[in-house]
Amino acid sequence: MTGRDNVFSAINRIETTRVPIGEIGGGYTDVIIKAVLGENYDQGPDAYFLNHQRIRELLGADIVGARVLGPPVEILGIHDDWGTEIFKDFWGATYTQPPDATVQLVESIAQSPEALEAWRPPDVSRFDSSQVKRWKETTDFFVLATLNAGFDLGYELLGFERFMMWTIQARDTMKRYFEKLIETNLSLAIMSAKAGADAILIADDLAFNTGTFVDPEYLRADYFPILKNMVGEIKKQGVPVFFHSDGDLRTVIPDLIDCGIDVLQSCDPNANMDIPTLKAQYGKDLAFMGNIDVDLLANGDVKEVENTTRNLIRDARRGGGFILGTSNVVASYCQPENLIAMYKVAHRELK
Amino acid sequence: MTITPDSIQQAIIMGNVASISTAVNQLLSTGVNSQHILDEQLLPGMAIVGDRFKRNEMFLPQVLMSAQAMQTAIDILKPHLVGNSEARQRHTVIIGTVKGDMHDIGKNLVRIMLVGAGFDVIDLGVNVPAQKFLEATSQHQASIVCVSALLSSTMNNMKEVVQAFRSSSDLNGTKILIGGAPVSREFSQSIGADGYAPTAPAAVELVQGFCD
Repeated sequence: MTGRDNVFSAINRIETTRVPIGEIGGGYTDVIIKAVLGENYDQGPDAYFLNHQRIRELLGADIVGARVLGPPVEILGIHDDWGTEIFKDFWGATYTQPPDATVQLVESIAQSPEALEAWRPPDVSRFDSSQVKRWKETTDFFVLATLNAGFDLGYELLGFERFMMWTIQARDTMKRYFEKLIETNLSLAIMSAKAGADAILIADDLAFNTGTFVDPEYLRADYFPILKNMVGEIKKQGVPVFFHSDGDLRTVIPDLIDCGIDVLQSCDPNANMDIPTLKAQYGKDLAFMGNIDVDLLANGDVKEVENTTRNLIRDARRGGGFILGTSNVVASYCQPENLIAMYKVAHRELK
Repeated sequence: MTITPDSIQQAIIMGNVASISTAVNQLLSTGVNSQHILDEQLLPGMAIVGDRFKRNEMFLPQVLMSAQAMQTAIDILKPHLVGNSEARQRHTVIIGTVKGDMHDIGKNLVRIMLVGAGFDVIDLGVNVPAQKFLEATSQHQASIVCVSALLSSTMNNMKEVVQAFRSSSDLNGTKILIGGAPVSREFSQSIGADGYAPTAPAAVELVQGFCD
């Protein structure tokens, strides 16, 4: 049974000999890949593909994340404070990446609701799906194509506080904004499916550890109906849909099921998203992925990682519907030996 | 229009900037003491907002609207509080996300709720080195510093901030509060911080405790 078959079984609630395991998105940062691959780390022109293939083969991962790629960013100048390049992406927002830090929004796509009404998303014909196609045609990994929807991408492009305020102050404009973002991402999803993706992952952070950012009633009225349409259209392509959000989603899990989501990913134990508990309540309608705390891989020791992974597999595997992985991605600050320990346990714990 | 404590509280809870502005100006013009407006009407309103947010009865957009209304009211009151013999000393809090970390959602939420609780807050933004926390504390004569981190990798930079304050002869008594997803009470104790807050409302309670 290939990694791909193993994941499909989990989605279809079929218990397999070995619990499928993998990560979403890029999965493993370059620092981790280097540390795990050692001298097998490739530095040639095809390094991204080869290194991501090698680390998955070495760990025994079943999943590879891929995405359709947008046109290159445009360099606009140098940031006054940090001296780093300011760049504009295809959505129209500008960013910079200060030294030793993550990317920071410099200027949002709109400073007023009127400007947001006038904003137009990028032309999808300029996107390239060859990465998705290559993973599908040359490997046995389950190819999980990642894209966004309207909420997480919405506040990344606008700025978090402005986005949140406008959900009250410019409600109709925000609804049309969600529609524009989702229409574009739906096109990318269809492009991914046509290129061979086995499933689509919608990455859309809706919550922090104590609950959703906005009132679930707002999501039910203004957002989930549009998301439901997106999921329905994707499924017409014959692919299942994964949904990633950090945080405590328990108040909206029935809504996500209603939207047609097949697999809920992240399930961070720090946000009370315990997969065995969630499976007991929603396992008939939804499969789950994740649940290993990234901070455990960063700060725990091998013994702790082995015990946590073993206990999770024991409690979550029955009846399928479970894919093991971290609750986010394997960050640079994780300990390589902990990552390896987690995957080894997954391969050792057979029925 | 008759202004009652209830209507001011409602304007804060509803985040109604226009109403709060009218109400505060009207009260001031009738001779109501600025400190009384702050203590008896505005702060109780924001306390209700904080409480409802903690219980998931209010959400981030509503809290932001309330904080905007509160800020509007404070801006109107500020000139009247200066030189007011009944005015309490206002505490200044320095806040920032630690060096190497660009995440600001949690930090901003704490800032908003501290302003709502009547503190003067100096926000240093993200990716803040220890030295900048020291300089701002000295410059603004602050007694409390809140440091945020979202990543396991950057939370270790909090130790640097605490050590910088502890080894400063002038600022070693500064109260340092830390927070953020990977941070724990044990970690806070291990680096010698004065407190750890798992949520924004908890941060406000701790800061208020430091001032008692």
